[in-house]
Amino acid sequence: MQTTFQSTATNQTDASTLLGFWQSFKKSRTGMMGLSMITFVIVLAVFAPIIAPYDQSSTINVSIADIYQPPSASHWFGTDDAGQDVFSNFVYGARISITVGFFAAIISILIGGSFGLLAGFFGGRWETSLMRFTDIMLVIPDLPLTIVIVALTKPSLLNIIIVIGLLGWTTTARVVRSQTLAVKSRKFILRARAIGASKSHIVFNHVLPLVMPILVVQGVLVISLAILNESTLSFIGLGDPSTLSWGQMLNYAFARGAMSSGAWWALTVPGFGIVFIVFGLTLLGQGLEQVLNPRTDTHHLLATKPAVRHEARLQPNQTDAILSVQDLSIHYISNTQAPAKAVENVSFNLKEGELLGLVGESGCGKTTLMLALLRLLPAAGQIVNGKVFYKGKDLTALSEDELNAIRWRGISIVFQGAMNALNPVRTVGDQIAETVLKHEPKFPKENIPARVTQLLELVGITADQRDHFPHQYSGGMRQRAMIAMALACNPDVIIADEPTTALDVMIQAQILELLDSLRKKLGLSVIFVTHDLGIVAELCDKVLVMYGGVTAEYADVDTIYNDPKHPYTQELLKAFPDLTKPKKKLSSIPGYPPRLDNLPAGCRFAPRCPAAFDRCHTEQPALHSIGNNNHIASCHLVEASK
Amino acid sequence: MSAEHFLEVQGLKKHFEVGRPALFSRDVQKVHAVDGVGFTLRRSEVIALVGESGCGKSTLALLLMGLEDPTAGTIKFEGRDITHLNDNQRKDLRRKIQMVFQDPYESLNPTKTIREIVTEPLIVHGFANVSDRDDRVTKAMEDAGLKPAEVYMSRYPHELSGGQRQRVVIAAALVLEPEIILADEPVSMLDVSIRAEVINLLAELRITRQIAVIFITHDLGSVGFFADRVAVMYLGRIVEIGTMLEVLENPQHPYTKALISVIPVPNPRLRHERIILKGETPNPINVPSGCRFHPRCPVAIESCKASDPPMVTLSKTHQAACLLLVK
Repeated sequence: MQTTFQSTATNQTDASTLLGFWQSFKKSRTGMMGLSMITFVIVLAVFAPIIAPYDQSSTINVSIADIYQPPSASHWFGTDDAGQDVFSNFVYGARISITVGFFAAIISILIGGSFGLLAGFFGGRWETSLMRFTDIMLVIPDLPLTIVIVALTKPSLLNIIIVIGLLGWTTTARVVRSQTLAVKSRKFILRARAIGASKSHIVFNHVLPLVMPILVVQGVLVISLAILNESTLSFIGLGDPSTLSWGQMLNYAFARGAMSSGAWWALTVPGFGIVFIVFGLTLLGQGLEQVLNPRTDTHHLLATKPAVRHEARLQPNQTDAILSVQDLSIHYISNTQAPAKAVENVSFNLKEGELLGLVGESGCGKTTLMLALLRLLPAAGQIVNGKVFYKGKDLTALSEDELNAIRWRGISIVFQGAMNALNPVRTVGDQIAETVLKHEPKFPKENIPARVTQLLELVGITADQRDHFPHQYSGGMRQRAMIAMALACNPDVIIADEPTTALDVMIQAQILELLDSLRKKLGLSVIFVTHDLGIVAELCDKVLVMYGGVTAEYADVDTIYNDPKHPYTQELLKAFPDLTKPKKKLSSIPGYPPRLDNLPAGCRFAPRCPAAFDRCHTEQPALHSIGNNNHIASCHLVEASK
Repeated sequence: MSAEHFLEVQGLKKHFEVGRPALFSRDVQKVHAVDGVGFTLRRSEVIALVGESGCGKSTLALLLMGLEDPTAGTIKFEGRDITHLNDNQRKDLRRKIQMVFQDPYESLNPTKTIREIVTEPLIVHGFANVSDRDDRVTKAMEDAGLKPAEVYMSRYPHELSGGQRQRVVIAAALVLEPEIILADEPVSMLDVSIRAEVINLLAELRITRQIAVIFITHDLGSVGFFADRVAVMYLGRIVEIGTMLEVLENPQHPYTKALISVIPVPNPRLRHERIILKGETPNPINVPSGCRFHPRCPVAIESCKASDPPMVTLSKTHQAACLLLVK
C-alpha cells in the first residue's frame, strides 16, 4: 500500500505544479498573447488541408489571367506569380516554418544544452575547450556560413534543418553554462556530494531541473531564430525548391515581378506570417521567463483590525530627549492587496548621549522603523500615523529640503553589510570626501583632505590607507569606514543597523568598543539595531524589544534583563546562550515569528506564548506602563497584574 | 578497537596553491588553511571546533567529509585509514559520517519536496525497497522533530521556516543512520528564538541514537550547552583543547582567554573587562614565524617570535599550545 500512496502523492504534486504554473502563466498578458498567436499558427498548419480553399499544387489549368490577381471573394489574398491562391500557400507555408523551427531548435538546444551543462558542471579542461569552441562559433557570422554550407549541400528541407540547428546553439550553450555555474555553487550540491551522490545523479537530479526553465525560454527564442534563418535562406534562393515556405513565397514574388506588377499581397502576406510567428514566439518567451524565473510569493493579507487605545504615553517634550518617536505606524502599501503593517504604534525617547538598543528577530520591523525616522523608506512604505520629533521639530511634517538639512548633519545611519554599501571602484577616502561635500556643499575644498584624514583616524584607520579601495580593506575596516562616513557631518544621533552582524566575535568587540568610545568622545546618541541580546546587555542604556512590528517591551537595560515583564522578552532571554551558565539547558520558543503579511488576530506573540489565554488570541494588547513611565510592555498579563 | 579510536585525526594539513607572487617567480604561494590538526572523537561524544573566520574550521570539515583531499596527515575511522579514498571506497563510509550545513535556505534544492529530499540519500545508496525506504524516511523525520511526518512530506522547502528546514537537513542526514554528524555552523543563520531547538535536537540525537557530533562554530557562547569537549582553532591549528568546563572556566591559551572575554553576556550586571585583540587574523598565506598568534598576543614574550610552541598537557584532557605554559 505504501507504494501506491507514494505514487499518487507524486502525481498529485506534479499535477499541482503544472496547474500552479498555468495559473501564474495566465496572469502574464504578453505570455498569453504570444501563446494565442502561436496556437493560431499551429492550428493553421495542422488543419491546412481543411482550412486552405485550394490544393497547394494546383498549378494545372493556370491561365495568364490568373497571375497576380488582386484579393477577391474567390482568392482572399489574391494569387501569386504562378496563379496559385496566396492564402492557401500561406496556410501550407505555416507547416514548413513550424517544422523547420521546431526540429532545428531541438538540435540547437540539445547541443547547446549539453555543452553548457558539461562545461559549467565539470569545469577545468572540459570548460576551456567547450567554451573556446563556442566562442569561435559565436564569432563566425552565422548567415554567411549557413549560406556557404547550404549552397554546398543539396538544398533540401532536411539539410536546412540540420544546418540551422548546428549553427544556432551558441547562445544556448553560454546561457546554460552560466546558469549551471550558479546552480553548482549552491550548497545543496555540496550536500548531495556529502551524501555520496554520483556526478550523473547530481547533474540529472539537481542541476538539470534548475537549468530547465532557462532551457525552455531559450528553446522558444531559438525556434524563432530558426524560422527567421529559414526564411532568409529561402528568400535568397537557397531554400528547398520542392517546398513552399513563407520565405520561398517572398523569394518567388520578389524575383518574378510582384513589385513591378503592384501585387503587394504576394509580398505582404508571407512577410506578415514571418513577423507574426516571430513576434508571437518572442512574447511567449517573455511570458515564460516571467513565470519561470523565481519571484517572491504573494500572500493575502488580513483585514484591518480596530485600533488599540494605548494607556501608556511618552511625554513628547521631555527636555532631555533629542529624538522622540510617538505612535509611529508604517505600512507597506500595495495596489492589489491590503497594506502590510510593518510597524504599529511604536514610541520611544532617545536622550542626549544615550545608547538605545533596538532588539528583534528578522522581519520584526526594526530596519523599517529606522529608515522611517529619516523618511528613507522604499516607495511602498508609508508612515500612516505618528510623529518623529528631532530637537522639537516633527520630521514627518518637514519638506524634503528641510529634511535633507537634518539627514547626515543631524541624524546619520551606519548601514548593515559594509561591503555592499561601499562603491568598489572608488577609494574609501574619495567616498568619505564625497559624503562631506554632498551634505555640506559649502565645506571649504582645501580642508577636505584634512577632514577625511581626521575622520579616518577617529575610527582607527591610518592616513596611508585613505587611498585604498574597499576590497583592500578587511571586513572590520570596511565597517570602520562606514562609521567614518556616518560621522562626516558631525551628527548628534547615529543609527547603527546591525553593524556587527556578519563579523567575527573579536572584530565585533572592536567595533562595539569603537562605537562606545565615539559616543563618549563626541557626545553622540546612538540607536543600536541588533538581534543579539548579548551585545545589548554589554552596551546599551535602554532597550526596545520589538516583535512582529509592535513594541513588546521598553525599559532600561537592567529591567529588561533582570525583571522583564513581557513573555517574549522572558522567553528570548531563556533561548539566548549565556557563557556564564554552562550546562544549563537552552529553551527554545516554539513556532516562528509571524510574517508581516499574515499577522495573528490578537497579540502577535500569542501563538508562541506559554502564558497566552483566550483574550490574547482575539484582542491585541495595549501598551501598559509598569511602575513609573519608563517601563512599558504590551501584554494583557501586565494589565491584569495591576 | 577501543572507544578512543572511533575517529582519529593526526597532523592533518590542507594547503591550497593560490598562484605565484610574480610572473616568473619559482615559489608558489600557498594558503595554509589547515596546518597540522589532530584530535580524537569517541562514540556519541560532542566536540566543538571553535574559531573565527580564516581559522580553517570549514576546510577541516570538508577534509573530514572527504570533499577535499588533504595535503598531509591521516584520518582514521574505526581504526581504518580513510585519508585518501576514491568515490567508490568512500561510499559506504558516507553513510556513517553525515554533514549538516550552515545555511538551511541554501542547502535544500528548492524544486524538490521534503519527501524527495529525505529519500534521496537512500536512493543514492541503493535502497531499492520502497516501503522500507518510506519507513526510514518517516522515522528520520520524526526523530528530527518533524512530527507527524506526513504533514511535511509533500511540502517544498520555501513553505517551511528556517528551523524546520534545518530539521529537514538533519533528517536527510539521519536517514542513513550515521555514527557521526558534522554540523558546520548549523544555527548561525537562524533567529535567536529558534536556535535552541536545533541545538537541543542535536543534543538529543547523541543520546537516542548514540551519534557523535562535530560541532563547528564561531560562537563559543553556544557550545556550553551540549559540547563535551571544545577545541579552539587559530590559523589552521588547534591552540587549546579540553573538556567544555576546562576551556570555558579555566582557559589557558591567551587566544582562548581573549575569545571568551569578548563573548557578550546577556546580563548588564555582569559587564566585565574585555580583552580586545588588535588587528585581525592574519592572511593564512604568510603565517607568522614562531607562535602564529604572537603578533596579536597581549602577553607575548621575545621567544614567541622564534619558536613554535608545542602542545602542553595541562591535565589528562586539557592541552594548550603556548610557550608560557612550558615549564
